[in-house]
Amino acid sequence: MTTFTIPVGPLHVALEEPMYFRLDVEGETVRGLDLTAGHAHRGIEYLATKRTIFQNITLTERICSLCSNSHPESYCMAIEQIAGVSIPERAAYLRVAAAEIKRIASHLINVALMAHLTGFGTLFMQVMETREIVQDIKETLFGNRMDIGANCIGGVRFDFDAEDLAWLAGQLDRLEPAVDEIVGHYRTNPTILERTRGVGVLGHDDAVACGVVGPVARASGVEYDVRVKAPYAAYDAVPPAVETRTDGDVWSRAMIRLAEVKASIDLIRRCTHRLPDGPTAVAERPDVFAGEAIAKCEAPRGELIYYVRTDGSPRPERVKWRVPSFMNWDALRFMLKDAKLADVALIVNSVDPCVSCTER
Amino acid sequence: MSNLPADLKARIEVAAPGGIGWTGTTNAHGVTTIWCELADPADLLPVGGLLKALGARLSTISAFQPKPPEPEDEDDDEDDEEAEEAAPPNSLGGVVIDGKSYEIAYHFDLDGDTLTLVVFLAADAAAVRSLTPLFRNADWTERELMEVYNVRVEGHPNPRRLFVDESVEAGVLERLIPFSTMVNAASTKELWEKIMAAKATRS
Repeated sequence: MTTFTIPVGPLHVALEEPMYFRLDVEGETVRGLDLTAGHAHRGIEYLATKRTIFQNITLTERICSLCSNSHPESYCMAIEQIAGVSIPERAAYLRVAAAEIKRIASHLINVALMAHLTGFGTLFMQVMETREIVQDIKETLFGNRMDIGANCIGGVRFDFDAEDLAWLAGQLDRLEPAVDEIVGHYRTNPTILERTRGVGVLGHDDAVACGVVGPVARASGVEYDVRVKAPYAAYDAVPPAVETRTDGDVWSRAMIRLAEVKASIDLIRRCTHRLPDGPTAVAERPDVFAGEAIAKCEAPRGELIYYVRTDGSPRPERVKWRVPSFMNWDALRFMLKDAKLADVALIVNSVDPCVSCTER
Repeated sequence: MSNLPADLKARIEVAAPGGIGWTGTTNAHGVTTIWCELADPADLLPVGGLLKALGARLSTISAFQPKPPEPEDEDDDEDDEEAEEAAPPNSLGGVVIDGKSYEIAYHFDLDGDTLTLVVFLAADAAAVRSLTPLFRNADWTERELMEVYNVRVEGHPNPRRLFVDESVEAGVLERLIPFSTMVNAASTKELWEKIMAAKATRS
């Protein structure tokens, strides 16, 4: 059979983010893959050392839009460790609520795009309409639809009063049945099942070898969630339900995300029901001495790790982070092996790719 | 809550005959963070093998050029590793911290706990063995390490550039690149002057 080399990307592979795939295809079957990255490299690690420790909260929030809460959250956790600050209990619960609201919005856009890529336009619209409830929650409670500016060093910058909590509870009651309906479609719709089951498989051993995290790992049977394995904020008081699957295909990854949307709704409810009284942040801006720290959190796509080194000056000496998407690109080699050319975009989307996060 | 083996330190000491420095803390949530400095960079691979056997996952690699305490010593200390009298700050293993030496931290996840292996490299001998035979995902991180710092990774299966274009000299984090140079554009004062002029007419 004739072999061709086909370029996919760098633009609009699945999301509107640049990554260049060079596929060797035999007929319509993918036999080889080469990746060229770096189209969205902005040198943010360098910029982070030119800004003050406090300015970096704003900078890290702008690394990526969908995990825009996780970046400053981990960064603040690292600085708090160096400064020896523990955040007030109320702040810990509020951090969980903010992170879970962002997680729902992030997961819903990914499963919506999966429907879009299978050509199921109405389901795409339905999921996006449901996601709009979450966007409204963010806009109403935080004043912004993507970058919610929730974190500060020593706590959070927002608070919920009784009216906010009642309104949020009402929105979650609207959201939950809508999500249940979507889960039903993804579980039973023949078009979805035909296009996504057994497609883009990442086996358990390959998932471990690639070091993947988050829903991609959990769909391949790797039971790892930072919120459970290395709890932070209030996650040890309100542990999330973590689901794993073993098939490791496109469908399993979507089902894991949908299960996590349900789990996040439950987490937000538990958090807001038992929200302790007290301050939302430490009273004084802490002094950050020389030191180094590692902080991890479970971003929507999995473990996000921050390394921060300070020398006692206002600027950090080094800030380094690794996003969960970083390992997914290599894992795509396994998923795309012997895949049909028509499924490439669907498989790429199933790792919830984030190029701006990966390249920084 | 930590699942780390109790004799982990002793086992790493056996795997790293060059000597280690060890600090460990456990936070209020029961999560342990260990920093383990290796005096001899050659011990990295054996210790990595030990961690792999314990089911560790390589999270990432952070490289860094630590600043010396007194910046004026920066140039004097070069190639002066054996000096004893001047008392320059030395790392474990005797690498002079002259602002140009490297400190490379390998962050491993052990079922939620973090163990970081740190190796020190002098600027003139900045080479380290690749961890790719043990951890496949070291591939991308080591490629990134090679392009942002002038560190060689020996035995890397695919030492191509990752994000930075081939036309750009390696070690981009080691030098200042003005933004206007980076984007190949000069900035003018035109816009600013326009704003100031508009402001002047209004007031």
